[in-house]
Amino acid sequence: MDLTQVLQSVDLFEGLAVDEIEKVARICSEERFSKGQIITKEGEQGDELYIIAEGFVEVLLGEKPSSAARVVVSLGSGQVLGEMALLDQGPRSASLRATSEPTVLQVIQRNQFEELCQENTHIGYIVMRNLAADLSFKLRHRNLNQR
Amino acid sequence: MAIYKVSYVIIDKDNPGTILNQNHAPLEGEIVQLGDEIFEVLEVLELVPPRGDFHYIHVTCRAINNFGK
Repeated sequence: MDLTQVLQSVDLFEGLAVDEIEKVARICSEERFSKGQIITKEGEQGDELYIIAEGFVEVLLGEKPSSAARVVVSLGSGQVLGEMALLDQGPRSASLRATSEPTVLQVIQRNQFEELCQENTHIGYIVMRNLAADLSFKLRHRNLNQR
Repeated sequence: MAIYKVSYVIIDKDNPGTILNQNHAPLEGEIVQLGDEIFEVLEVLELVPPRGDFHYIHVTCRAINNFGK
């Protein structure tokens, strides 16, 4: 599966034409992680949005010197990570750890993402709408999990 | 091609659940592997209306111990 096909299977890009997805593909870079490897750490600054192309990633909260971090969700292929820091420019709200061998991510840098959204406002509108829907879906999952 | 974004919630277990995209609709009674663990699907619900090719599904499942052993 080529990168355009991978991105077409991610709902973050639902509603984009093929030529628009190809523009997104040009600002993606692939990163591979081993099982157990930390991708980001809670509290650190981060400028990247991650898309899981293959494997699973755990989202971890609350790591302290006196206690281990708690897993709040496991995310598999097609899911988006790091979107909060991308949107609000705050520190990472959680740590991310690869849990499969290999874990393959597509990475988009914030400055390139913002440039693309400003150059092409249709891409910007669609991706921002879909990011909001993705955050909503994650909240629904969390609410259902805590019932 | 339809893509199913599925929120898996695990009952009776201290498990935070999983969200993933898959190319088939989950079915009640289906056995699924999430990471290293095996689960049985108990309930399938459409969480929000579909958008384009994407369907948004909530699944409740339970862990199966010693499946296939």
